[in-house]
Amino acid sequence: MSLPIELALVALFTPAAMAVILALVPPLRRTGRPAAWLSVLAASISLGASVWLFADQLGHPSRDLLESVRWLPHAGAAMANVGLRIDGISAGMTLVVTLVAFCVQVFSLDYMRSEPAADLGRYFTYHSFFIFSMLLLVLAPNLLQLFFGWELVGLTSYLLIGFYFKKPSAAKAAVKAFWVTKLADTGLLLALVVLYTHTGGFEWTSHPGAEVATIITLLLFVAVMGKSAQFPLHVWLPDAMEGPTPVSALLHAATMVAAGVYLIVRTNPLFAQAEFTREVMVWIGSFTAVFAAVIACVQTDIKKVLAYSTCSQLGYMVAALGAGSVMGGYFHLTTHAFFKALLFLAAGSVIHAVHSNEMSDMGGLWKRMKLTTIVFVIGSVSLAGIPGLAGFFSKDLILEGMLESGHTVPWLMLLGAAFLTAFYMGRVLFTAFFGELSEKAKHAHEGGWEMQLPLVLLAIPALGAGYFASRFAGMWHLEYELHLNLEAGAASGLAILGFAVAYVMYGRGAPVATPAILRPIAKLAASGVLDRFYEGLYRVLGLKLAGAVGFFDRYVVDGLMNLSGYLALTAGQKLRRLQSGNVRDYVFVVAFAIFALSAFGILR
Amino acid sequence: MPLAAWVILAAALFSIGLYGVTSRRGAIGILLSVELMANAVNLLFISFGRYRGDHLGQVFTLFAVALTVAEVVIGLALVILLHRVRRSDVRVDEVKELHG
Repeated sequence: MSLPIELALVALFTPAAMAVILALVPPLRRTGRPAAWLSVLAASISLGASVWLFADQLGHPSRDLLESVRWLPHAGAAMANVGLRIDGISAGMTLVVTLVAFCVQVFSLDYMRSEPAADLGRYFTYHSFFIFSMLLLVLAPNLLQLFFGWELVGLTSYLLIGFYFKKPSAAKAAVKAFWVTKLADTGLLLALVVLYTHTGGFEWTSHPGAEVATIITLLLFVAVMGKSAQFPLHVWLPDAMEGPTPVSALLHAATMVAAGVYLIVRTNPLFAQAEFTREVMVWIGSFTAVFAAVIACVQTDIKKVLAYSTCSQLGYMVAALGAGSVMGGYFHLTTHAFFKALLFLAAGSVIHAVHSNEMSDMGGLWKRMKLTTIVFVIGSVSLAGIPGLAGFFSKDLILEGMLESGHTVPWLMLLGAAFLTAFYMGRVLFTAFFGELSEKAKHAHEGGWEMQLPLVLLAIPALGAGYFASRFAGMWHLEYELHLNLEAGAASGLAILGFAVAYVMYGRGAPVATPAILRPIAKLAASGVLDRFYEGLYRVLGLKLAGAVGFFDRYVVDGLMNLSGYLALTAGQKLRRLQSGNVRDYVFVVAFAIFALSAFGILR
Repeated sequence: MPLAAWVILAAALFSIGLYGVTSRRGAIGILLSVELMANAVNLLFISFGRYRGDHLGQVFTLFAVALTVAEVVIGLALVILLHRVRRSDVRVDEVKELHG
């Protein structure tokens, strides 16, 4: 085993071991803070191994390692292997996952301080398990192992959204997220079946032919739409904000929701064969980017704004991958992970200070929370794509890719989304952090060092990750050049314009009123029309189908069983009368039978 | 004596036995009648064996005698058990607890 494999094993199994220990030793878990520190220790070991792994990979950019053992034996050959695949993609993603996970865990030490000890231990057990599941997905050498990681992160997502399971809304949100993503995951499962039937394996490098590749990738994309919250399967993500804020930062902004995008990046050899699927991706991605950005403009809950923003940015990535700009999609995934996690943690810091999610309860926080404000500004500006920050480079790459592949209308949609992004982030900034100090914000103060350190740690890549774009591209033998042309200028101009509009509307301490133009949209968003559509669909299709299947089971399957039982019983009731218990009756029957048979034999 | 005479004798014995089995009430009497029927069959075996001119009929009879002994043993054991339980003469008409 070579060094990178060993490092990856350490990164993968340290959190797994910690999760198992914490899960199996309840007295340790219920101690709360010691358990939390153990979990952070495991995360830091995992992070250390990932940093080393990534640095090693940077030294050998074109290296592609595969270490696997036979998992499911099948007629001599292996049906499927389990193992590790280490190349530029997985090494980069491993670093992102462990870095954000480490920051979030440290942040949680302070954020979750007031939780009961037993709950705190449970929280960190889930977190350790999440790192393992996510890395299992990231390092998977084939689609089958990826599927297992995929389902496990779905499970941890369910557990963490429902962390406050005594709150009915949180429990409902957890179940909703689980159902919606499971529905979508059926696509991944079916894709696996189709892939195996046609190629006899679970490799994404196979060439099953254009039509089959289209079917497989469409099925995969259904799963991606669920996991990465693409319209119309995005409905679970805003509700998932019921979970603790650090969870939203880790799972529902930076890593787990990006797993869908990661899946496309990984299986790109298949997607490259499917023209039609990529066209679908471009349109759905662009539409989601605009649609979610519009809804983000009318939210009053700071976490909901960020959630819809995540939807929107994931739309960017999906559209970029559809347009064939793998580098753009994956690079945006990476930078987005940093600045969105940063934004969520900063929002968590604010929520911790003012004890409210509503932006109207915040205001003027700059006067009380300098560090949080600074990092929130960095995150917002990076997200909006102001030149010089990480988000600018990746977003520019996406827009360039869209234009190069000839998708003009989606390109315009994404430009519009860029403007809206800057607008809603400006709206959050000006209402929550500047202007008059609100009542609830009067006693706000920064959290402990555990909350401040991750903010600083994440602010660094949110600022500077863009400058590594060429190193990043080098891992796929790609050239990266920044084209400072009109298109790039248009995007950043629109972003600045967005902030300017937000300043004009909210900059002078105006209350968080919904702009008149957006009021119908706010009404639409509040009405939950899509939720009701799904509910109706569930009632019409789900319940009717269940009713029909239930009818069949009750009256046809059970009916046959009951009929055979009834026949046997009735026949027995009739036949028992022959058994009189009188010996002479039997003898007469025997004698008569003998005579009858003899007569038959003679007369025949 | 011709073969027909032996067959008629055997048939007569068998019929007497059958009559006994159907008409007797006591278990012992029934057993005796069954024995009579069995021996009628044995007689037939030997007669036909003689008629064929080999020893096959006698061999069969030896087996049949042994089997009949086993049957009688079980029958008598039942009679003794029934007698112990009921403490009276064993009347087969009264033993019908197992009827359907």
